[in-house]
Amino acid sequence: MTAAIPTIALAGNPNAGKSSLFNALTGARQKIANYPGVTVERKAGHASFADGRPLGLIDLPGSYSLTPASPDEAVTRDVLLGQQAGERRPDALVVVVDAANLDNHLCFALELIALGLPTVVALNMLDLATRDGLTLDPAILSRELGVPVVPTVAVRKRGLTDLLAAVDGAILSHQTQATAQSAPPPSDAALHQRAKAISRAATLCETPVRRWTGRVDNVVLHPVGGFILLVALMFVMFQAVFSWATPFADALEGGIGVIQTWVVDSFPDNFLRGLVVEGLLAGVGAVVVFLPQILILFLFILLLEASGYMTRAAFLMDGLMGKVGLSGRGFIPLLSSFACAVPGIMATRAIPDEKDRLTTILIAPLMTCSARMPVYTLIIGAFIPAQKVGGTPIGLQGLVLFGLFLSGIIGALLVALVLRRSVTKGNATGFMMEMPRYQWPRPADIAIALWQRAWIFLRRAGTIIAATTVILWLLLTFPQAPAGQSQVEYSIGGRIASGLEVVVAPIGFNHDIALALIPAMAAREVAVSAMATANAIDAGDNEEAMAEQLSDRIAGRWSIATALAFLAWFVFAPQCISTIAITKRETNGWKWPLFMVGYLFALAYAAAGITYWTAVAFGLG
Amino acid sequence: MNPRLDSAPLGVAVRISRIDWDAMSQDEGRRLREFGLMEGIEITPLHRGSLFSRDPLALAVGRMQVIIRARQAAMIEVAPTAP
Ligand SMILES: Nc1nc2c(ncn2[C@@H]2O[C@H](COP(=O)(O)OP(=O)(O)O)[C@@H](O)[C@H]2O)c(=O)[nH]1
Repeated sequence: MTAAIPTIALAGNPNAGKSSLFNALTGARQKIANYPGVTVERKAGHASFADGRPLGLIDLPGSYSLTPASPDEAVTRDVLLGQQAGERRPDALVVVVDAANLDNHLCFALELIALGLPTVVALNMLDLATRDGLTLDPAILSRELGVPVVPTVAVRKRGLTDLLAAVDGAILSHQTQATAQSAPPPSDAALHQRAKAISRAATLCETPVRRWTGRVDNVVLHPVGGFILLVALMFVMFQAVFSWATPFADALEGGIGVIQTWVVDSFPDNFLRGLVVEGLLAGVGAVVVFLPQILILFLFILLLEASGYMTRAAFLMDGLMGKVGLSGRGFIPLLSSFACAVPGIMATRAIPDEKDRLTTILIAPLMTCSARMPVYTLIIGAFIPAQKVGGTPIGLQGLVLFGLFLSGIIGALLVALVLRRSVTKGNATGFMMEMPRYQWPRPADIAIALWQRAWIFLRRAGTIIAATTVILWLLLTFPQAPAGQSQVEYSIGGRIASGLEVVVAPIGFNHDIALALIPAMAAREVAVSAMATANAIDAGDNEEAMAEQLSDRIAGRWSIATALAFLAWFVFAPQCISTIAITKRETNGWKWPLFMVGYLFALAYAAAGITYWTAVAFGLG
Repeated sequence: MNPRLDSAPLGVAVRISRIDWDAMSQDEGRRLREFGLMEGIEITPLHRGSLFSRDPLALAVGRMQVIIRARQAAMIEVAPTAP
């Protein structure tokens, strides 16, 4: 045989813990790419045997059987049969099964073992099986299956050394002894019967299933109570985003102010100082202060996902989403879109139906992503008094924010309803998924995921947002206005904004807003940094005006009607280059991203207009 | 005619007596079998729908819980479990 590095494939049912096992084995040494021609992720990595010999690992998409039902599952089959272009047939196979779900997972395992590759079964999630009162005998299981069985707990990195040793052994014995060729595949029913018999034989003792989890589900999935709980959870989430973040945001803001003062005091007044203080620090700083809120939002979403609640939420929402032609499967991508539409749109890959998936992609930008938070918070902070609603502990500001989120959701449902009857017409889609067990989220995993989000946000602030802010600062600084004229109005940027103002004036937008909208095409939060930059330039060397906060300034210059119209605009406007780019990638062309941008701008204009005219009619102009 | 799964009472174990494989798409049928839903299997309907609809349906199949739509449940005939 060759002395090449052996490649080992991980395969198994979805949720068996394959990815966790892959991460535990490879650590940071992994590479994620796409299989050629399909949007299916190829995850590959390296690890080594106990004696230091290297091995390659690939994590195959989770499947239920070798008869594929989706592009993901087709890749799994093709790789295992050695038919995937550009991929060598793996030298050995690790079949990951959930110890508490053997009846089911053994079906696919039996199919995989019959392929005749050197195979080891990882009996994973043994900790959860024990928690649920299940005692298994790996030796019996191994005897029945005819391959080595190694108990593992992927998330605690238990059993990994034994697993690799068993794989090594399996490859060796495969080389020295010809394997019996596999029999023709048995029928589904026969496979199930065999799986069940094996699982029975290997089960030493079993206490009744799910004592407390069943009781929790009776509350969480209650037709009325469960729904109220879901809405309450979302509500708490949005209140928390506002109230918990304030001290951190204040501290960040103070810190940026200190740096600004320091730069002003330590350097002579020149072009560069202006760029740093009024452009970079004012602009990027105005966005960075929202980091605490974004992290709190992500914290909630990550906790809900890791605990297993998210699928319950999908269950509760499926009925409602089914009415507009979507399925509960779309709930997870859509909820992720509250943090950011980009990962949300990528998560739609799990939706098997093409029309269903396309519709979900098209409405994902309507979910209030974290980039809108800076805009919403600024305007709400400036115009909505920080008081409680009629003696309750509910904050009025949080309530308005909740309302904005709700508008996005209702808008999305209505749009989906229309789309499913027109451009993405098709059959009602199914909703079949497995309900994961409840689990305590692991703090280390959550911390790592949060750190990744924080890093992505800060990198954006350091690149896209910094660049747009600097360009805007240049546009607003030149040409120099003659004495007595407003610099912002006189500059190139100001004149472009005056042109746009003509278009947006009917919906109540003023010059400030027109100016902010153009650079905000790159990312929504740039609207805030753009206003901060314009504010700083306008203030110039006037110490007093400089100290005035952005929110105080706009509160003095805008009417409430204008502020509300501006909020309504941002519920819909597709101002995010990254979202447009990911839509193009996921739909393979420009048709759908252009459609998305078009319909969202039309909606944004209409919504802002209606809001403005209504508010004016109520005397808020 | 036997009662169908979509109207079976919650919390009571039943046995699948017949599945109308022809009424569903191939993919649907396969996914059902992969979830372990086949003739002769014992299942317990656990939760049905929410405030707004009677969809979907959560079932216990062995130690696993799966979610299907009422439309699919309507193609599954069930009978009381043998005492
Ligand atoms: N308690 C416990 N949880 C696990 C174990 N392995 C995986 N998990 C969890 O099970 C869930 C699904 O695991 P994942 O690796 O994403 O499954 P995959 O779909 O097979 O890739 C995740 O929340 C993991 O944290 C394990 O051995 N014990």
